[in-house]
Amino acid sequence: MASVKLTDVKKIYDNNVVAVHDFNLTIHDKEFVVFVGPSGCGKSTTLRMVAGLEDISSGTVEIDGTVVNDLQPKDRDIAMVFQNYALYPHMTVYDNIAFSLRLKKMPEDEVYAKVTEAAEILGITDYLLRKPRALSGGQRQRVAIGRAMVRNAKVFLMDEPLSNLDAKLRNQMRAEIILLRKRLDTTFIYVTHDQTEAMTLGDRIVIMQDGYIEQVGTPTEVFEMPANVFVAEFIGAPKMNMIPTRLEKDAEGYFVAPYGIKMPIEGEKAEALRAKSCESQDIILGVRPEHIVLTDENAPGSIPCTLEVNEMMGSELHLHVVTEAGDRLIVRVPTLALTNAQRRDMVAGCRLHIAFESKVMHFFGAESHLNLLYEAPAEEKEEALQAPAPQTEIPAPEAETEAPAEPAQDAQPDEGKQD
Amino acid sequence: MNATDSSVMKQHMGLEKQRRISNNVIHTVLIIISIVWLIPFVCILLQSFRVENTMEVGYVIPHKWGFDNYIYLFDTNKSQFLRWYLNTLIIALFVAVFQTLIVLCMSYTLSRFRFKMRTPLMKMMLVLGLFPGMLTMIILYTVLRDLGLTGEHSVPGLILVYIASSGMGYYVSKGFFDTISRSLDESARIDGANRFKVLYKIILPLSKPIVIYTVLTAFMAPWGDYIFASYIAHSVTVGKNVAVGLSSWINDTDKLRAAHYTHFCAGGVLVALPVAIIFMCLQRYYVEGVTSGAVKG
Repeated sequence: MASVKLTDVKKIYDNNVVAVHDFNLTIHDKEFVVFVGPSGCGKSTTLRMVAGLEDISSGTVEIDGTVVNDLQPKDRDIAMVFQNYALYPHMTVYDNIAFSLRLKKMPEDEVYAKVTEAAEILGITDYLLRKPRALSGGQRQRVAIGRAMVRNAKVFLMDEPLSNLDAKLRNQMRAEIILLRKRLDTTFIYVTHDQTEAMTLGDRIVIMQDGYIEQVGTPTEVFEMPANVFVAEFIGAPKMNMIPTRLEKDAEGYFVAPYGIKMPIEGEKAEALRAKSCESQDIILGVRPEHIVLTDENAPGSIPCTLEVNEMMGSELHLHVVTEAGDRLIVRVPTLALTNAQRRDMVAGCRLHIAFESKVMHFFGAESHLNLLYEAPAEEKEEALQAPAPQTEIPAPEAETEAPAEPAQDAQPDEGKQD
Repeated sequence: MNATDSSVMKQHMGLEKQRRISNNVIHTVLIIISIVWLIPFVCILLQSFRVENTMEVGYVIPHKWGFDNYIYLFDTNKSQFLRWYLNTLIIALFVAVFQTLIVLCMSYTLSRFRFKMRTPLMKMMLVLGLFPGMLTMIILYTVLRDLGLTGEHSVPGLILVYIASSGMGYYVSKGFFDTISRSLDESARIDGANRFKVLYKIILPLSKPIVIYTVLTAFMAPWGDYIFASYIAHSVTVGKNVAVGLSSWINDTDKLRAAHYTHFCAGGVLVALPVAIIFMCLQRYYVEGVTSGAVKG
């Protein structure tokens, strides 16, 4: 059990590609931190620097108060689970799990006890004498976890461990990792590109883009108060709708008027805007698909639109609609909220009316793309966590960008150098 | 059966006949090539059992059969064959062990480590490898002579010569190592292994075909070498390897040729025998080794 502290960590590859910029983060003892971001954002590189598999160009990595920059991976007291399992193909499952213990010259009876205990926890006792090639993907992943488990390491690193599994198995293994974490009660750093994994597993999530940290926070914090447009779009599925509009302030208070429909801002949001002394300005209005409701034509704040695509997800419908202004929005409607007749009528081309729930709208600066109401946590401020983030492109709502739900594995420039 | 079916059937039969004829032609050509290929071996094998005389004769099948030629080879009072055989075996074994170690370490280094000048080094070795080794013969002889490693001391001299350029032959094994996922190395390093343990506990067990291929090629080069060995041993009998020794029986004088032709044939069989047995046993690995690395797995 240990804390991990990264101070001004930077990674520059030989070809001058900067993979990670001034990364500052303190991971507390027994904390489960998830690095999440699209392909090539530097999350795997950062993890590999903690593991000692990648040289650190500048900055320091501390594990349990000791700077480990120049320590070999074997001397850092870490365990790691790889995306492709990295099981030794010529060894049996037993030998795979026992490998690190034997290297430590542990007596064979202790090795046996540890291996069988781990196998029992992971439900792979029956496969101990098999070679990895005779196992399914899920079983292989369990062996990889078992191999890391028996080491009783201070820090447990996981690099996209579920990416190679099918969706059903991934859900099952995710639940098992939660149980494993409870059992091991140690510090975890977990890398994924899947925001669902990040939200369900992490005590804190570190959202990265282009080598920069965009936001650090608990799943609730990053979901409810995204620091910027990138985080807002990345966290949550389907992604948040972004509508360029204006924030106005008059004698009655704040309001927005997307599509010419005045929507007063009330409650906590209004207070927060007042507290920040926000002036009238161009903004990007963020509304999550689940915070848009179907309404009647005559209801206040009703926005007319046309249904383009209806995705039946089982418990809910994802309605892709086009407003009269040409903006494409996604609306998430629980299946149970509709009658059978209403569901049948939801066909491409039909006219719908939608309304935004103003209490849960998000306001981002039109230029800066930063959340007008976001305030970095005290700890984050102390660590000067937010390096100057690059300007994200202004999203064009009519030309919807692909949701970063399943990007490919992190690009690793070093791998490309294989001759 | 309608007209279309009948036409399809005819076409099918035609193609079948064409394929049969083509197969027959290919097999016939291959059989002829095999026979031509095997004739010298069969002749040598048959001549090695000929005991009516030791001279070169104009027929292949012996009139009298026996093991006299083999017995002669093993009689140390009459022949130096065992000495030559032992010399060759010592050289080949030493070279096989050291060359394999050097090649595998070199290949692993170039496959896994990233260091300055790595690519230029590989290119330089590629270019150097394009020059025929024979170009170095004269200077090598001079160096070895100055070191006293020629003539009767040619065995250590030859071992040095064969091992000296071992690192250049790293291409095939590096290609093989490149196909082994680097995450295995990384996983082993996190598990507590240093680079050397990674190589011999993880990489080498996964590279059996390439290790066997490297050992075999390292063994074969000195086992069958004639040119370097004859140059460095020159005419000192005890310093010869088996190829040079046997060659001296049939090349030096007509008198020697007449006295030793069948002995030469028996010696040839004994030289070929261990290599043939090893190849037959390890054929599977050898083929895997030669072809692996050609396509990234």
